[in-house]
Amino acid sequence: MKAVVLAAGEGKRLRPFTVSRPKVMIPVGNRPILEYVISALVENGIQDIVLVVGYRKETIMSYFADGRKFGARITYAVQEKQLGTAHALSIAKKHLDDEFLVVAGDNLIDSRTVSDLVGYDGGPSMLVTESEIPSKYGVVQVEGDRVVRIDEKPEGRIGNIISTGIYRFNEDLLRAVEDGVGGGKIGITHVLQALVPKMDLPAVHTTGKWIDAVYPWDLIGVNAAALAVHGQEIAGTIESGVTIKGSVSVGAGTRIRSGTYIEGPATIGEGCDIGPSATILPSTSVGNGVQIESFSLLSNCLVMNNVDIGSHSHLSHSVLDDGVRVATGLASPAGCAFARVEDEFFRLERIGGLVGEGTEIGSGVVIASGSIVGAGCRIGSGVRVTGNLENKSVVV
Amino acid sequence: MCGIVGYSGSRQAVEILIDALKRLEYRGYDSAGIAVCGKELQVYKDKGEIAKLQESLPVMKGTVGISHTRWATCGRPSKENAHPFVDCTGRFALVHNGIIENHMALRRELVARGHKFTSETDTEVLVHLLEESYKGDTHAALVETLKKVKGTYAVAVVRSGSNEVVAARKENPLVVGLGVGENFVASDVTALLNYTNKVLYVMDGESAVISPAGVRLFDESGQEVRREPSTISWTIDDAEKGGFGHFMLKEIYEEPLAIHNTLLGYLDDISDGNSIGSSRFSSVKIVACGSSFHAAMVGKYVIEALSDTPTTLELASEYRYSPGTKELPLVVLVSQSGETADTLAAAREARRRGCKTYAITNVVGSTLTREVDEVFYTRAGPEIGVAATKTYITQLVALYLLGMRMGIARGTIGPDSLRSMRSELRSMPKHVRTVLDNSSAIEEATDMLVNARDVFFIGRNINYPTVLEGALKLKEISYIHAEGYAAGELKHGPLALLDAHTPVVAACVKDHTYDKMLANVAEVAARDSPVLAIGFEDDTELNAVADRVIRIPKVSPIFSPMLITVVLQMLAYYTARRKGCPIDKPRNLAKSVTVE
Repeated sequence: MKAVVLAAGEGKRLRPFTVSRPKVMIPVGNRPILEYVISALVENGIQDIVLVVGYRKETIMSYFADGRKFGARITYAVQEKQLGTAHALSIAKKHLDDEFLVVAGDNLIDSRTVSDLVGYDGGPSMLVTESEIPSKYGVVQVEGDRVVRIDEKPEGRIGNIISTGIYRFNEDLLRAVEDGVGGGKIGITHVLQALVPKMDLPAVHTTGKWIDAVYPWDLIGVNAAALAVHGQEIAGTIESGVTIKGSVSVGAGTRIRSGTYIEGPATIGEGCDIGPSATILPSTSVGNGVQIESFSLLSNCLVMNNVDIGSHSHLSHSVLDDGVRVATGLASPAGCAFARVEDEFFRLERIGGLVGEGTEIGSGVVIASGSIVGAGCRIGSGVRVTGNLENKSVVV
Repeated sequence: MCGIVGYSGSRQAVEILIDALKRLEYRGYDSAGIAVCGKELQVYKDKGEIAKLQESLPVMKGTVGISHTRWATCGRPSKENAHPFVDCTGRFALVHNGIIENHMALRRELVARGHKFTSETDTEVLVHLLEESYKGDTHAALVETLKKVKGTYAVAVVRSGSNEVVAARKENPLVVGLGVGENFVASDVTALLNYTNKVLYVMDGESAVISPAGVRLFDESGQEVRREPSTISWTIDDAEKGGFGHFMLKEIYEEPLAIHNTLLGYLDDISDGNSIGSSRFSSVKIVACGSSFHAAMVGKYVIEALSDTPTTLELASEYRYSPGTKELPLVVLVSQSGETADTLAAAREARRRGCKTYAITNVVGSTLTREVDEVFYTRAGPEIGVAATKTYITQLVALYLLGMRMGIARGTIGPDSLRSMRSELRSMPKHVRTVLDNSSAIEEATDMLVNARDVFFIGRNINYPTVLEGALKLKEISYIHAEGYAAGELKHGPLALLDAHTPVVAACVKDHTYDKMLANVAEVAARDSPVLAIGFEDDTELNAVADRVIRIPKVSPIFSPMLITVVLQMLAYYTARRKGCPIDKPRNLAKSVTVE
């Protein structure tokens, strides 16, 4: 069986982390979210994968290429304009057989999630899971094993079973979905919403992993979940006097200098220079080519590639995108805060600072909990940042 | 990693086995071999690439066979250790991809029972076990054999007098191809795409019997398995280009990773004791051809700036025939393929003259690496587009690292400036990504070039070689006549050629030549030539003098050639694409020039 993986969307609500990459390419545990999806499929023997790409497609194509490195055979279908998931399916159609899986590329899943659906042999079906916050998703009502109703982001609490966006399709269902597009219904879920009362669509329950990142701060949790399954693999040079506890992986060409303390789960990429005497605490990912200087502490952080963190910095529950440079003494502590995305406010129990790619931060800067700093900002020394900063802001 | 192929049909097997095997060459190429069943079992194998095997191949008649390309894991690359292996009775030939973990113990037992081994490999035990297990059914014998081994395998067998290929897999890839009156088996579907697009994926623990009439699949317990064939909808070209329109664009987008990989490991030990730094030579000579020569020119500025060591350049084709002086420089040879005939000859000449030699190449084990004292490998990965892109960028990385090593060894740069340079190099993948993210601006800028008959490229100092490379890229793939000039030389001739139909591309980064460059751009603009300038993101003056500005992230000027080169490569690519040129294979050009 083949699978079509939907990877064309930008992920606007995750800005600034999608300035130069689509949502599926955001790295968690040092691998793009999409890589977890592809591995889950390959582990279930699904090697022929059609990737529907669009926004910043080159980042996907240059990473996955023909899929060989990942044990898959990838074909690309380009969706020039992001006209929804139903449209994406019709673009991928010519590469597909009668029966195939449809998988969202931007949810962290594991092989069990896929095997639950592959193992079900009752034809076209929808994979559903339980969620603690169903109101963010399409809530599904099931009678027997049949989906009878779908409510997109319902106001009240009507149930905790949600659609994972993973389906088993055949030609008939594909045709029905294609016919159902129109009148503003452009997502697969929207189309099915109208169709399910009239048709027989079984729901298949999964207890496998299914984690979604909708807002920038969700990345902290997704990263932690991704790290939880990583193994330990130490390459590079570990100087004497380094303490490594728990499951920690260190990439080739990385040097961990003396006095550094690392507690896993954590992953450190290739070609990094860490310490001397830096501290990295659990659920932290450090990308490739990152430098972390002395007496800096990172806890539960997602640090992407080519980031420089000067000495005496403290970061907790924070995200630093590619190429962020911190001179010295940055404080980005975790706390309870209100964060804002597109004029919506969210109360978050524990969040640090979220910083977009290429931003340069001077010495002694404080980023208040829950602040979202855009890409390419320049923040002068001694500044205290509260609230959100647009891309390319200059603060002195 | 190794690659295997099997064929059973009505055509002569040799040609198919070799052609399909070539598609698997990425899986290894240190030795290769082939077995064909005709009237009798014929086996031929040798050390070296598949093309070499093909040249010396004897006539082999038969319509059933297997072939193998090897990447040594157990036993060195040699003719004896190449696959296929034949049993003591000469009935079976076998190829294998994987590792047999308990081969030592099995080998001792087999030798004790009188079997004769001809190689050092783990694989050979399989064929002798097969011989013992055979009781009239090859498939049953193979299943029996595999029960005795621990390890991983994709394996294919032929037997003299039979038209079947029997195959099995565990953890190594294997796919069956379905044709009409013929069937195939291979490590990877790309090997089969020339013959069929209908395939059966063999799962772990399964085995298959392939004959001209059909294919039977069996699971671990010996039960026959029914599986619907899958249809492959991509072609060989699509498969390899991974969604990109051309290899060149794919390879440009691979540059951030190529830089990262090339820096890995080296960045850390720049200051550790190294032979190049401490050797006694008073000057450096860099020898190269084509694009590599432009990288070498950048290298001259880098080495002189960082290590105060006089550096000269020579084209490889000229160096060989130059008189040579008494001086004994360090000779640095730059060649992407490591097979460029002129560069090889230059390496030999340098050694004959008694010089220490240092090669920068992208191909592990290439001829050049055997001709020199020390090798630096750029880890750009295979480059298929004829125009050098990612290999050029990584050659620059290699030369920066060489300059930094020499500078540290000679005390011309301090540990603190080394530290900041290291940190800047480490960020380079991100900066290149930022340039790539700006591709739409670069694509729009091709409006200025696409209808031109001639284009001039100007730059100064370290970006003079960069514009030479930019001009070379444009002319080789878009067929537009392009010339690179040191901006200061304009007034000595080329200015006469400028008019409103001759666009000028100017590299203008803020270094000590910036004011002069601005003056040159104004000079050009005064002749009505449209000017496309490339400058740093924070530049405020270029807009006033140039018609269009492409901006790159701000880095130290010494590293700016890397980013400007990426812009110029993209500019050449998009221009050629708009003109509909055959970008990956420009007329009259070949990737690696092995003639003198």
